[in-house]
Formats: sequence, structure tokens, C-alpha cells
Amino acid sequence: MEFMPNFKLYRPDNVDDAIKIKTEHAEARYVAGGTDMIVNVRRGIEQPQSLVDLTSISNMNDITEVDDGLQIGANVTLRNVRENQIIQQNYPCIAEAAGSVAGPTHQQYGTVGGNLCLDTRCLFYNQSEWWRQSNDYCLKERGDTCHVAPSGKRCFAAFSGDLAPSMLVYEAEINVVGPSGSRRIPLLELYRDDGMAHLTLGPGELVERVHLPMALAGDPSRYEKARIRGSIDFPLAGVAIRLRKGKGNAVEDVAIALTAVNPYPKIISGLQGLIDGNLGEDELDFIRDAVRKQSKPMRTTTVAPWYRRRVVGALARRLAAELSA
Amino acid sequence: MNEIKPSQSIGIRKSLVDGPEKVSGKAKYSSDFMPIGCLVGRIFRSPVAHAEIIKVDIEEAKLLPGVKAVITGDETDEPFGILPIARFEFPLARDKVRYRGEPVACVAAIDVETAQKAIDLIKFKYKELPAYFTSKDAMAEGTVDLHDHRPRNIEREVDFELGEVDKGLSDADFVIEESFNCAEVCQVQSEPHAAIAEYDAEREFITVRASTQVPYYDHLMLAKVLKMDEAQIRVVKPFVGGGFGCRTESLNVTLICALVARAANGTVRLTVSREETFITHRGRPETDIEMQIGVKKDGTITAVDYTAIQRGGAYSGYGVVTILYSGGLLFGLYDLTAVRYKGFRVLTNTPPPGAMRGHGITNVRYAFEALLDKIATKLKIDAIEIRRKNLLKGPNYETLNEMFINSYGLPECLDWVEKESQWNQRKGKMGKFRGLGVACGHYISGASKPVNWTGEPHATVHLKLDWDGSITILTGAPEIGQGSSTMTTQCAAEVLGLDMSRFQIITSDSKLTPKDNGSYSSRVTYMVGNATIDAATNLKKILIEAAARKLDANPDDVECLGEYYSAGSQDEGLTFNEVVTAALEGTGTITVKGNFDTLPESWGTKKYRGGAVSGSMAYAYAAQVVEVSVDPDTAEIKVERVWAAQDVGKALNPLSVEGQIEGSVWMGMGQAISEGTLYHNGLGITNSMLDYRVPTIIESPPIEVGIIESIDPNGPFGAKEAGETSLIAFIPALTNAVADAIGVRPTDLPVTPDKLMELMEKNTNNAKSVT
Repeated sequence: MEFMPNFKLYRPDNVDDAIKIKTEHAEARYVAGGTDMIVNVRRGIEQPQSLVDLTSISNMNDITEVDDGLQIGANVTLRNVRENQIIQQNYPCIAEAAGSVAGPTHQQYGTVGGNLCLDTRCLFYNQSEWWRQSNDYCLKERGDTCHVAPSGKRCFAAFSGDLAPSMLVYEAEINVVGPSGSRRIPLLELYRDDGMAHLTLGPGELVERVHLPMALAGDPSRYEKARIRGSIDFPLAGVAIRLRKGKGNAVEDVAIALTAVNPYPKIISGLQGLIDGNLGEDELDFIRDAVRKQSKPMRTTTVAPWYRRRVVGALARRLAAELSA
Repeated sequence: MNEIKPSQSIGIRKSLVDGPEKVSGKAKYSSDFMPIGCLVGRIFRSPVAHAEIIKVDIEEAKLLPGVKAVITGDETDEPFGILPIARFEFPLARDKVRYRGEPVACVAAIDVETAQKAIDLIKFKYKELPAYFTSKDAMAEGTVDLHDHRPRNIEREVDFELGEVDKGLSDADFVIEESFNCAEVCQVQSEPHAAIAEYDAEREFITVRASTQVPYYDHLMLAKVLKMDEAQIRVVKPFVGGGFGCRTESLNVTLICALVARAANGTVRLTVSREETFITHRGRPETDIEMQIGVKKDGTITAVDYTAIQRGGAYSGYGVVTILYSGGLLFGLYDLTAVRYKGFRVLTNTPPPGAMRGHGITNVRYAFEALLDKIATKLKIDAIEIRRKNLLKGPNYETLNEMFINSYGLPECLDWVEKESQWNQRKGKMGKFRGLGVACGHYISGASKPVNWTGEPHATVHLKLDWDGSITILTGAPEIGQGSSTMTTQCAAEVLGLDMSRFQIITSDSKLTPKDNGSYSSRVTYMVGNATIDAATNLKKILIEAAARKLDANPDDVECLGEYYSAGSQDEGLTFNEVVTAALEGTGTITVKGNFDTLPESWGTKKYRGGAVSGSMAYAYAAQVVEVSVDPDTAEIKVERVWAAQDVGKALNPLSVEGQIEGSVWMGMGQAISEGTLYHNGLGITNSMLDYRVPTIIESPPIEVGIIESIDPNGPFGAKEAGETSLIAFIPALTNAVADAIGVRPTDLPVTPDKLMELMEKNTNNAKSVT
């Protein structure tokens, strides 16, 4: 681990102050747990003069039942998501995803907001200052070449958060607050297909809370990720699936979302044909193939992209089979 | 009155004597020493893999306020290295840089920010040369030599044939061959490298504390590169967070720290990052092996013919020894009558490997045991039976390369794992995607020939007995977490019949403790254990004589019962403290010493150059059965259970032995399924604990440990090696289990899920095309 550079730490207790500080200090960065970001700071990837710690903002700490669903404050830790009984019962894959992040100590510090806003990752980016300098940096940071796809002019760093896909399958919405007020948007709209700037947040904006709809509460779901080790590792590929069945075991609703195989969490399209039918071998194969086709892993990890594509399809198929059994 | 008995310490589960400091956080490691005024050291590392150095411009860096010294390769023209025949590495690069990350300059400054600013001001001018990142590229025609005196980048070529190999192969009913590739692996010990050097300009004296397994070699190398009198140097080894071989040679971090401290005329602490620890490397080299084994129909081996090529990195380090072990240690496990070995140690533009746990033999043993398994499958012989078929005709046995084998518990190890794993009931009946595999291994108990021939004994231990009745053990043997201090205390306590609480131990301070070669090649228990027994026996003799004087008895009639000495049952006897008082009369504080030396019979063969490597006083043996399941969808391997039997001669401390064997399984599991370094044009891309995937506790399977005690006639209380052998056996046992589970054999390590999935799909497609 490299040494920690000097910075000024702000710890506001309300959102307005946080936004104010952030707006006043152009170089400032929000920190919401820091389990990933501090590593990047030590590596010189981020060189903030000021850090605005959001975890003391009191109205972002709760999991609250409201009329139209469940609200999860952005400061809620991954551990609390993992252990929350309402989430476990009504939105099970979200608890499962929180429990799969890194290791227990990370879950103790890491937050919902931090995980949703996790920086994209790449072998050529998540390295020390000396390393990146020796490799002429990269497109995402100070350089002009993408070492993953040197002929292209875009960044393929992979979004690797575990929570986002599990929340996307429940059609989560988020509250974004910023200098010009608050807005509620679908979680999907937080992201875009660009490894260099995968978040749509404007200057000074932050994610305040997540809304999970009542209408989908209780739908069965699963999350699983492929990784080399059962702890610590970021996903090589992750898949969340929500599957509600009705009469005669027919599919009433299904949603699948992926992580770590694109620069943004990906919702699988083209599943409408499965509605009202049963999931037999052909339908499960269809799910597997749809997932494989829509995942675009690149050489951003040491594990071969073709494997990540195959395994994400296999996991989706397996989870679908489990949920339809 | 209860019967007075001597205290027993051997063969009893003892917690480690230095455990309380470690678990309470009181233990001080090298980076914990921060005297007032201590400067921070920081290394400037080469951004390129192979280049001629034109200029290292440090002028601006030196002028930065707060910078106390900046040094480059000009600081010393003395190369360092453990092996006298392979000393051509400088602490800071001089004429050329040969791998990315090689130290080029070092700054000492008042704080880390200033040090980094100074690093950023250093201007490194160089002319790039072609760089070679694989053995094949480095050995090709027309390459630029990394070192002028090593044409074609061959560091060492080994070529021997013992027995008649061609005849053996033609006499065989089957000759089966296979190629294997084992990725480069690192130790990833818990403590990154660190050193602190305190230069005393008044006395021209330097004190160095470092994370090391070899303080004595550090002492020699410090004297050499600093060009200082050895008497003007003090080397202290504080607590060390593991080694596993990466600290078996003097590391550039330690030497650079001393050089920059002298240049700064002060105290400098140099701690390097995990990435820099990976770059300093000294792990296990990437190895390509091609092997063929000839067998009779009944499984008897007639000949072995193989080649091993090791990607040796930019400098030799222990490389010559590694490539020799890869040949010499094929012997001694099974009865081999004809062996041909060709070994190539190649110089490449990557960080230099070293002497990692299971030095030199791990990858070759993996290949051998995998191939033997393949043969057993082909001949439809049980995998344990084919190994029994080829056992040594021990226990007293001399191999083709004249190994000195006096204890051989391998048959008992095989019996144990066969029974405990219910091998006979379960093998072949595990169902789809589940399998059992077996493999064996062995390792030396210390290299019998020392690296530096000085004529001194292999080990010397001092015991100091004072008026207070306490005994201080003084040993140079570096406690690095393996439990050597506990072992030494047990040996001394057992001989004297005293409780271990009477002993304190001081280790590895060159001004206090007798010289010791270091903690490597599993030498400490065998050699230092024996020296401790010798010292304690000498002390006991003095105490018995003192008691005899006091009791007015013949020393032969005095019985030592630990806390009580008596001359016959009628005698009133003396307490230990009374004996101590008597012993100190007229002489004062007593210091005795004990020595150990190896027997010339164990010095290896002269049949080929380098045959002394792999000569040892004793060899430990292991057999393991591993049970795995393979996920058909993700190709992930899960190690379900492990049965690990090791013949350790005698388990001096069964608790420690179990720990060593379990640790061996974990480390072996890393090399087998998840660990391996990768480079991008010579730049290590896996140099963090996230991307270099050491198994976590979640991956840890239930491990059943079987301790087999063959009681080696020359070992301390019969003990042998306990810390390396089981690692060697685990890797092939695992891959053999994978082959059993999926019907296709992985050959390349690590068996990551992407590689295994490719193999499984190929196998399915082949099966489909057949039907």
C-alpha cells in the first residue's frame, strides 16, 4: 500500500452543507465508506485536496418502510443491507448482493451510495502511480491510449458494483440531490456506457437514497457472481434475477441485470417472450444465450473475457432454473 | 510426597513462546522502529525492462529542502549475492537496468512526501534494449545478452544421466509423456519488506534491523557493499512476518537502506509497499517441464527422462541451486534406477525468483506425480498401489545420487491417507464432478553442505545460566514465525527436565547471539535443535558435577530430575537452585555451547557437477489425498477435504507440526488453483493482494493431519523437516483429484476456472465427436 497523501477532510451533518462544500472546492471528492476510493487515493489515481465524508449526514442512515415501498438511505452500510429482514424477505437478491461484496470488514464500512457510485475498474487503471506512469497512463486517467483496446478511442473499464444489478431487477429509483435541488430518477439513469464517466451525476450531486417499489416486494430473486476466491474479489461477472410466477407455474414477470461485464450495470432486454410461459430447457437456454450476447466483457481483469461471458450466461441459467423450480 | 519427575516438553502440544507478543500487538517488526530523527527512505525504480543507463540525474532532488541524501549505483561497485559463483547484482543498478522496477536510486528525506517529491525530481536517462519476458524468447538466437558473461542468457545448464536411461525406456512396456507449465508464484508473506539502518559516524559503525531469514548473510553482504569491517556492523532481526524463502538471500531493500543511511549520516527507515515486495520477488520461477516415464505393465518405473526450463529473471539469486534441486531431488522418494535430467536456468527481463518453500522440486514433483497418475489410469492400476510398487527398499537406503536416507515413513503415510480417506471404498465411485486424488512428496532437513564454506559447525547454540536460576538460550536461528524459538526452548527444557518457563530466548542479534546460517532449507529444527540438545547436555553435565560435589557423591550416581538432583533414593538431594548455587561457586555465570555438524556421508554425490545440492542428513515424506468437486457451470474447483500425512521423524511440537502442514495445504492450494504472477511487457499486473489471488479462509477445506513418526536416528529426538514437504504433495494430489472428477487432466498451473472450462469444453466436444 502506498502512503496516504495529505488532504482536508470535511464531515458535514446535512446534505446542504455537503453540497456547498463540494461546490466550493472544485477538487473535492465525496467519500461514502471509502473502501475502494481510499485505495485509489493511495495509488494516486485520485488526488483530491479535500474529501467530503457523507457518513455523518443523519437523514441518509435509515431503512424506512413507506407507503409505496422501501427507502434505503445512501449511508446504510452493506452489512445492514445484508442483515435487514425486510430486504431479506421482500428483495432477497439485494441482501445477497450486499453480502457478496468483498469481505465482512468492507461490508462494515462500505455503503449503499458508495457501492452504487463505485468507480469502474481495469487492470491498467487500478495500479500504483509508478506502474501507471511506467505504462504511459491510460485513456481513463492522464493518458491517451486504452491498453485494453489500443486501436479504439473509448474506455472499457468495467462497472463492478454488486448492488446495482440486484436493485435494477426491482426497478429501483434513486433520489439525487445537488446544487439545483432534488430529483428522483430510475437507478438505470444513474449510469451510461462510458468507462471514463459512467455516472450521470452533475457537479456537486450525490445519491441520497434508493426507493424500492412496493409492487415488486416479495418477488423471488437471486444474485450470484463469478470470482476466483469466495471473498475479497470483485465480480468477474455478476448476475441478478427476479422471477415471479403465477398460475400453473407460468412466468408472470422476469428481470435480469448484470455487473462487471460492461462499463455500466446492464439490464437484459428481450425477455418479454418468456412471460406467461413455463421455463423449460429451451427457455433456460434462451436466457443463457441472451445474457451471453448482451454482456461485453473486455480484458479488464486477468481472467479471460470469453470465460466471463460464458460463466455469466451459465449463472443466469442456473439461477433462473432455481427460481422456477 | 509425590514422585518427582523431570518435566517433559517434547511431543507435547506447546503454544509458541513468542505468541503473547504477537497476539497482543506488542511484537515489534522492522517497520515498528521509529527513533527520533529517523529519516524516510524511498526507492526510484526503473520504468523500463532493459536499458543501458546513460545518466541518473539526482542534482535537483538533492537540492530539495528536507532531502538528506540521494544515492545511485555510484554508491557501491560491490555486487551482492548468496552464491559466490553468482554475484553480479548491485543494490542499485549501475551499467544497465534489467527489469521493470529494479532499484536505480534511493532518497532519504525528513518525511515521505518530501521523499516522493525528490523521487519525482530524479531524471533517468537511458537507452532501451530489447527485452525478453519468456524463457523461450531469452534463449532464442540473436538475442542481446542481459549479462555479458552469460551467453544466450543461460544462467546454468544442468545435464546428467544416472543409470541407463535409453535401456530403461526400451525395456519399458509403456513410455508416457506430458508437458507441464507452472506459473511463477510469490510467497505473499504477511509482512512487506522493511529495514531500518542507524549509522554512527563517530564510530563508523552501523546497526541494521531487517525483515530477514538470514541475518548472517545480510551481515556478510552489508560488509561487502558498504566496504566496512564486519566487526563494525550489528545486524538484528526483529519479529518477522513470514518468509517462505523470499528472505533467504540478502534483499536489495536491506542493503540500500544501509547505504542511504550512511550517505545521510543518520537513521533511515525503508519500508516498501506490497507492490515493491512483489517486485523484489524471490518466489518460485515459472517452469516448463517435459517429462517421460517408462513403466513395466505392473507399474514398476524403468526410467525417467525430463527437461526443466526455469524463467530465472534478471539476476541469479539462488537460481543455480534451484535448477540443481530440480534434478537432485527427483531421487529419494521412489526407487529410480535410471534418470536423465536437463535443466536450463534462463535469464529474463523480469524480477528474479528465489528459494521458495519446496525449493526447486515442487514443480518437478507436480509433473512427476501427475504423470504417474496418468500412467496408473492407463494401466488400470490403483493410484496408491502404483506408488507402493515403486517405494524405496528403505529405511536404510542410498539412491543413485547417493542420498543418505536413514528413515522412510512414506509407506505409513500412504497407509494412513488410504485408510482415513476411505480410498478403497470411495475411489472411482464419487459420481460426476467429484474426485479423489493422491500424491506424494519429500524434502530435505537442511542442506548438508553450507553455502559458504568456513569450517565452522553448521549450528552453534549458547546457554547462559545465572545466579537467579534462569537459563537464557542464545541462538542466531531466526524465528520468522515458523516456531524455531519454541522448538529450541523445548529441546533445552527436555534435556534438563525443567519446565519451559525457566527459559528465555534471545535470537538473531549479531552482538549477542552466536552466528547461525539462517532459516532456510528446513535446516533449523534438525541442526539448531541438535545443537541445542548438545548445549543442554553440556550444561546438565556441569550441574550434575556440581551436585555431586555438594552431595559428596560420584557424578555417575547423581540423577537429574529437573527441579531436583539426588544421589540415590536415600539421599536428601538438592533443589535446582541449590545446584545452580553450587555450580556457580568459584566460576560465576555459566555459558555453555553446543554444536551440530553434518556427516560427510550426507554431502551428496560427486557424480555430476552440483551434486551436493540435495544432500541432507534426513528427508521428510508426505502422502496426501485430496477430494474436490468441480462446478459444471463455472468450472470452479472446490477443495472439499484433505488428508495430509507427513513423516516428520518425531513431532517435537504436534501443534506446530499441524500448523505447518495446514499452512502447506493452503499455500499449495494457492499455487494449484489461483495464484500466478502475470506481466504486461515486463510490468507486473498482479502485484497486489487483490489481483494476486491467495486463497482466503473461505477456501480452506477441512484438513485431517496424520503425523507419522519414523524417528530419524540422527534427528533431534528423531525429528525431521515439517514445513515444506506437505506443500509439495498437495499440488499434484489436487490436480489428480480434478482429473478424477472431470475425466480430463489439467497440466498447467494454476488451474483457474477459465483454463479448466476450456479443458472441459474440449473434452465434451471430443466425446461428442467420438459418438
